[in-house]
Amino acid sequence: MQFIENIGEIFIKLFSNLGKFILFVLFFFKYLFKPKFYLKNNLSYFLNIFISSIPIIALTGIFSGMVLALQSYTGFSRFSAESAIPNIVVLTLTRELGPVLTGLMISARVGSSIAAEIATMRVTEQIDALKTLNTNYYNYLVTPRVLSLTLALPIFVTLVDFIGVMGGYLVSVYRLGFNDNLYLLNTIDFLNLIDYLSGIFKAIAFGFIISIVSCYCGLFSDKGAFGVGSATTNAVVISSILILSSNYFLTELFF
Amino acid sequence: MNIEIKNLKKKFDANLILKDINMTIEKNKSTIILGQSGCGKSVLIKTIYQLFSFDGGSILYDGKHDVEIDKFSMLFQYGALFDSLKISENIAFTDFINNKTNFDKKVLSLMNDVGLEKSIFHRYPSEISGGMKKRAALARALYKNPKVIFLDEPTTGLDPINSDKINELIIRVITKRKITAVSITHDIKSAIKTGDNYYFIDNGVVKDKGYCKNILKTKNKIFKSFINGAKY
Repeated sequence: MQFIENIGEIFIKLFSNLGKFILFVLFFFKYLFKPKFYLKNNLSYFLNIFISSIPIIALTGIFSGMVLALQSYTGFSRFSAESAIPNIVVLTLTRELGPVLTGLMISARVGSSIAAEIATMRVTEQIDALKTLNTNYYNYLVTPRVLSLTLALPIFVTLVDFIGVMGGYLVSVYRLGFNDNLYLLNTIDFLNLIDYLSGIFKAIAFGFIISIVSCYCGLFSDKGAFGVGSATTNAVVISSILILSSNYFLTELFF
Repeated sequence: MNIEIKNLKKKFDANLILKDINMTIEKNKSTIILGQSGCGKSVLIKTIYQLFSFDGGSILYDGKHDVEIDKFSMLFQYGALFDSLKISENIAFTDFINNKTNFDKKVLSLMNDVGLEKSIFHRYPSEISGGMKKRAALARALYKNPKVIFLDEPTTGLDPINSDKINELIIRVITKRKITAVSITHDIKSAIKTGDNYYFIDNGVVKDKGYCKNILKTKNKIFKSFINGAKY
């Protein structure tokens, strides 16, 4: 009997949290369309995210492209299809690896920091202080973070795509002996606009997921240091799971 | 502003924190709320402030159910200053985030009122002491010229000398500005010094009330044990 009660409790908690999250998202949209726009706050947050994330974005791109070229060569050389490597590198990066890896890295780099910062503000009563200062926390905290990340992620993915292709080029030309002009020509010729756009669409969706989940985890964290820690972990884990699962459905959309 | 609280109830999930609170906060007086940690004092003042909704009873502000909370202000237990903003930006927060720029004079005057030196104007909260943070938070609370100020354990974490200074500052500020004050404290000395009326809360209900000058003469056994630091 106790076992059934425990399972029931887990489900009630799960659905109550889901309901709370859906309400949170609806309130976000309500205040997005009825905004009190703190321009300075929004801009400084966007720049902060952008500048601090560039190094990990560059590293993600270059190493993904390099590894992709090497691994593709291992497979394709077995049936003499090495010439397809530029096409595989650019397609895999723009359609799949670029948005997914960027999403996961940004969730770890920015999502965790959003959740920790907001959870700390909650623990130290700064969220209550905002209310006493007649400031809506959706407008002041949530909107800048969600807008900044949703706008920044497509730029990050474009960078990862470009740097990744360059990484593949470097390995293919200097390690595997490809002709440099032919490699670039194959890359550009084979890439369609829809390949790039499907990745960008995914990036917008992932940016929204990471930021809204992280804000939610921070705002509804438990009290104390443990609460801040849990909020940070939950933000990264939930964002990552949602990125990976929604990726399938978004891929179906552009299949 | 007079605030009348009748049969107030507040629960979180299944836990009834405030069971039946009845009290009157008199205009331009300093009301002190005393009680053990976890008895619901902070919940009570946040409910009066309308930061929390309540589950039963009523709160009347000058006889009305509705109030513009713009008339209220709060000094939080640990200041709750925004870490990413300078002290001046914290004090003039609402003007600062609305891109108003002519707040320096008002901030400097408030800093002077609460005994803060000009040198910390451009500093961040992490660069100043606990006592200074309390003063800066008090200046922020006074920035919007409130009619009622709520003080959540204003002397917590301060040494006796700084506690005394903060108490004197609170008396000076609320007398000069004719503000109604509602303070939470564990410190009996502070309560006697800064308060007019007191309410002692235990287990979600008011167990004792009276004038602060008569606190030590209380006949309530539970409150007496609380004052003497004994178990009850």
